[in-house]
Amino acid sequence: MAYILDDYAILSPLRTKNNWLKLSIVAFGVLIGVSSPSPITPFLIAVCMSFATIFLAKIPAKFYFKILSVPAGFVLVSVIIIAFFFGGGTYLFSFDVFGYTLGVSSSGLSMALLVLARTLGGMSCLFFLSLTTPMVELFSVLKATKFPDSFIEIAMMMYRYIFVFLDVAMGIRNAQTMRLGYKDFRTSFRSMVMLGTNLFIRSWEQGEKLYLSMNSRCYDGKLIVFDEKRPVKASEFLLTSLYFSFIIIMFYYTRGIFVV
Amino acid sequence: MHIFEGFLPSPWWQIWFVVSIPVILFGMYQLNKLVNERREVVPLLAVAGAFIFVLSSLKLPSVTGSSSHPTGTGLAAILFGPAITAVLGVIVLIYQTLFLAHGGLTTLGANTVSMGIIGPLVAFLFYKAASKAGVNFYLNVFLATAIADWVTYVVTSVQLALAFPHPEGGVLVSLAGFAGIFATTQVPLAILEGALTALIMKYVVQIKSDVLVDLKILTPEAVAKLKEGMK
Repeated sequence: MAYILDDYAILSPLRTKNNWLKLSIVAFGVLIGVSSPSPITPFLIAVCMSFATIFLAKIPAKFYFKILSVPAGFVLVSVIIIAFFFGGGTYLFSFDVFGYTLGVSSSGLSMALLVLARTLGGMSCLFFLSLTTPMVELFSVLKATKFPDSFIEIAMMMYRYIFVFLDVAMGIRNAQTMRLGYKDFRTSFRSMVMLGTNLFIRSWEQGEKLYLSMNSRCYDGKLIVFDEKRPVKASEFLLTSLYFSFIIIMFYYTRGIFVV
Repeated sequence: MHIFEGFLPSPWWQIWFVVSIPVILFGMYQLNKLVNERREVVPLLAVAGAFIFVLSSLKLPSVTGSSSHPTGTGLAAILFGPAITAVLGVIVLIYQTLFLAHGGLTTLGANTVSMGIIGPLVAFLFYKAASKAGVNFYLNVFLATAIADWVTYVVTSVQLALAFPHPEGGVLVSLAGFAGIFATTQVPLAILEGALTALIMKYVVQIKSDVLVDLKILTPEAVAKLKEGMK
């Protein structure tokens, strides 16, 4: 876990926008992206969402591309494999390795491009959501749905405990480093084992303390979150509908177009 | 595991959602019952969930639309059973999707089936069977956790193979390819995770053995015997 996107989300100017509007924009992008037969529409979605994230949500472009490059790198490798191994028919180009013929056929290549575009489109939608909406906001969305209280309670506690885990891990790691616990490979290994096993027990203890202190302040399993009313403004509604209709029109007209 | 957003084509992502939703609903019902009956397990539930989150965020690069990492679900499966673990798994997957962009919304169903449902279920069944057969508790925990890990990756490979069958060899050739790629990183990772979980269980027996008795994982006699062995 190199970064927590929540930090950026809390500072983003789009944080104060209506949660349901943001959620519907993301759901729309994800669903259209995955059902598009042509790679052009998901690619357009990726461009639009990246634009919104950088210019409307004011996320530094350098940071945005850095975090996008991690999953994109994974996907690129996968896509190259798909291009080589999937899709039959005649090869566009091929070469021989140890007696095997490796080649890329046009159906393999178009499938690879489609998967690449869909994944990029989906990723940019998800990043838009995670960089503009802190988890706290999503809890009020969750409250508005009909999930049982115990589910929401566990979800909230888990969210808190992830940070307890990180805190405890950081503390132990600092203490070990101060005592030269990572001076060479052997000691590092020993320290890692100690950290790993103690982490769970320590976090659990911390969690019990937290729970106890909440209980003694009359906690009964229901955390009340303040759900601010944020009506959708006319300008936001207009922009969103423009975006939706643009994507739907593009979806309709590019459905038969393939790059290869 | 953790198939990326948009990686699964259309019939498949819906199918995995249909498979996972009833299990999750049943898990929520069980979770509700457990929390209403014994509120004192809430911190342990949440910590077990956070443990899954932390372990499954330690991802290593792996090809073909997915990544390789420990799952951490074995511990929760042994403690709370597979249905509740499935709920914890869904929450973890949603968090990872939303703030690490790890996994995806349309692939949530598929990821839930592999990491949240089938992996823990097999681990749980293995644990029950092995403890009936009288296998040493720690060895059992180690094996169950490692198996949860491996089964998760086998299921992910099956999901990927079904979605991307090899044009000539069909699903089985794809499956062998995907599983082979995962195996190189997953075999050592699962062994590490199993060892870590067994060590954690040792501490739990030492410090908080009453919880294990409460959750009916061990009988009081078994705990006494394990404690005897530590002296």
